[in-house]
Amino acid sequence: MAAVNGNGLSGSPSMLLDGYDASRVYDEVFDANGAVRGAYSRIVERFSELDAAELQRLGELVAGEFRRQGITFTVYSEDEGTERIWPMDLFPRLIAAAEWEELARGLAQRVAALNCFLADLYSGEAAVLADGVVPGWLAVSSRGFERNAMGITVPHGAHCNIAGIDVVRGASGRYQVLEDNLRNPSGISYVIENRAAMAKVCSWLFDDHTVQPTEQYGRMLRSTLESMAPGGSDQARIVVLTPGIFNSAYFEHAFLARSMGVELVEGRDLVVEDHTVYSRTIEGLVKVDVIYRRIDDDFLDPVAFRPDSSLGVPGLLGALRAGTVTVCNALGNGVADDKAVYPYVPDLIRYYLGAEPIIDNVTTYTMWDAEQRVEALGRLHELVAKPVGESGGYGVLIGPHASEQELQAARAAITAEPREWIVQELVQLSTLPALAEDRLEPRHLDLRPFVLTAERTEVFPGGLTRVAMRRGSLIVNSSQGGGSKDTWVLAPDSS
Amino acid sequence: MILARHAEALLWAGRYLERAENTSRCLNYAANSITHLRAEEARVESELLVRTLGLTEELQAAGPLESRPQLIAFLLSDSDNPGSVVSSVSAVRENLRSVRDRIPIELWEEANGLYLRFPFLGHANDAPKELHEVLLMVRRACLAVSGVLNEGMRRDEGHALMVVGRMLERSIFTVNLLEASYSDPRGALDASRMLRLTSSTQAYHRQHGNAPDFEGVVRYLLHAADLPRSVRSCLSHAEESLNSLASGASALDRPRQRTALVRSRLEFGDISDGLSSAPVQTLSELALELAVLAGEVQAGIVPPLALAEIHSQYLRPGPADGAAS
Repeated sequence: MAAVNGNGLSGSPSMLLDGYDASRVYDEVFDANGAVRGAYSRIVERFSELDAAELQRLGELVAGEFRRQGITFTVYSEDEGTERIWPMDLFPRLIAAAEWEELARGLAQRVAALNCFLADLYSGEAAVLADGVVPGWLAVSSRGFERNAMGITVPHGAHCNIAGIDVVRGASGRYQVLEDNLRNPSGISYVIENRAAMAKVCSWLFDDHTVQPTEQYGRMLRSTLESMAPGGSDQARIVVLTPGIFNSAYFEHAFLARSMGVELVEGRDLVVEDHTVYSRTIEGLVKVDVIYRRIDDDFLDPVAFRPDSSLGVPGLLGALRAGTVTVCNALGNGVADDKAVYPYVPDLIRYYLGAEPIIDNVTTYTMWDAEQRVEALGRLHELVAKPVGESGGYGVLIGPHASEQELQAARAAITAEPREWIVQELVQLSTLPALAEDRLEPRHLDLRPFVLTAERTEVFPGGLTRVAMRRGSLIVNSSQGGGSKDTWVLAPDSS
Repeated sequence: MILARHAEALLWAGRYLERAENTSRCLNYAANSITHLRAEEARVESELLVRTLGLTEELQAAGPLESRPQLIAFLLSDSDNPGSVVSSVSAVRENLRSVRDRIPIELWEEANGLYLRFPFLGHANDAPKELHEVLLMVRRACLAVSGVLNEGMRRDEGHALMVVGRMLERSIFTVNLLEASYSDPRGALDASRMLRLTSSTQAYHRQHGNAPDFEGVVRYLLHAADLPRSVRSCLSHAEESLNSLASGASALDRPRQRTALVRSRLEFGDISDGLSSAPVQTLSELALELAVLAGEVQAGIVPPLALAEIHSQYLRPGPADGAAS
């Protein structure tokens, strides 16, 4: 692979891309020879017409737009204040139509299998455990396994109505699933706002492509939730349940309620009487049919779960059992996106769907298997260790970046509690140009597409591209300094 | 049907929006007028303004105002003072933020934009040199928010409640101003001051000439049907908005009736008679009536069942209940 100096860019030298080094990993824009991949040729030309000052000015326009609109997220541990402006880099990510079509099929397949797993498990039959596909002890020891969910009927058997599946591309350029998010995946609002901002500030970039739109998500989500209403979707009253304005994803909760045209409620707005959930309006109590909850299981109902929770609705579990209301995503989905269950998902696809997985997992070692543990601990300096109970990139040990002391501590922790860890081969995430001071430099990224499931499954085109803004960093989470990019799924007839 | 919590947030967004504008106007007046007053007179003027804004208790907590910069800091940027401009603007933003799914995007953006301009003002005790520009900016931004409210918001319950909040706050301010003006220890029954503090000078001059008399201005600010800041006009708008709320909101019947009653007393003479014989007592009673009305509106929209009551149906008694038993 070769470094790119701009001379190969359709004969148009670009100061911005001078010295762009695409030689280390799979780069989304430049191939191993430094040539521009087909889909990106016009984008690269367009960016080569800009200089750093202009790109920075456009970036400031976007930031100003986000600031004015209050498009923010919250970082809890910061002293400087709770809200941060959503970071977006202007160089878009492109996905060709055929590439997306295969990826979408793979995502739908994966979510279908995970829904089968959840339905099987919580129906009480649990054939998947009896047949030894997933160890029974592993499933029931998962923090996400919720005994209170046993026997609760879920319309269409769709336990996971909104899934966010994190996919990455390694050195080969093939997509692999890094993580499943089946409880409260966030980020979709930023996908839509990123597009809106790009369309406002860089509308000229869209001239050369036909890009699949994003504004239909509210309609898709509402339709999905309506069909989850007990007894059918006619006149279903849907609410979005938020922990409140101080939650890190509050902007998204408000965005979703507004784009669906439904109420955004807090726990204190809801009350259960006679096993039926009502919202408290100025005209009295009004029945609620579907709750799109954005709070965790533990906080949903202080009677059944954490008694100190003031976020939830006392008596909600009883209403769920009575079948008078549907909570989306369903209770107990955490067992299926437990990192410890992740290695078994390809087998779940084979077991429930009788098909080979369209998208592979990242090679993963289960630490409760003594043989795999010994091998992984011996190579820990080359691998990635993840605590199964953490999210947001916290607690992850990246072997090649870790000190000997950190490696020793991780080995000790894994040996002490092997159930709490998985170890994976290090995926050198693919890169895409991002603005770094006065030039575009390669930055690692992932992709979180969103899958909606009720009567049928729909994969929303594109997803949230998260990008590590520090050189060489593999941590893309916004809470740890990551940024984002607009993700373009090109229409079949687009260049 | 609007959630009770949303109703409360919109009502208070309306009140705080009006409060931000009122405080800005008072501060602008004070910053100019106090400059020409001797120390004792300046102190009296400051206290009158604080009383007009209903911030007497907050001032007691903050300590005496001994200088012009202290007054400016107290009214502009003191975050412990819920009536300061900064607190009011923050409260508008926080209330609208909690309902941003149901208000026009432009309304949220205007309120958010106003809030975002404040970090640049400096610390609480530093009176900004460009005070006039800052206050002008606040008042223009408040007008912009009002404009979006009037022109861009569907005439639903949320709109009605924001209007009710604004009209309540405005009428309370006007009555407080009149009452405080009668009680001026300097004995200066200053008609021009009342007109300036209600942005009504031009309107009054056009209708009644440019030599205002004190009692004429008091009656004008109470009774004028065509003056947006008169108490009668405020109550008419509030009444209209309360009536537009769905008939199912029976808890609002009482404030509806009270609004109509007070408005008709202003319109048909009862209060006017009282002004002639015992103006301070009449204004005090009117202020009390408005305070009760504000309380009834609040009680009419808050959830009928308190959170603690709901929890008590399902959870064991908390420490307080346990101690009582």
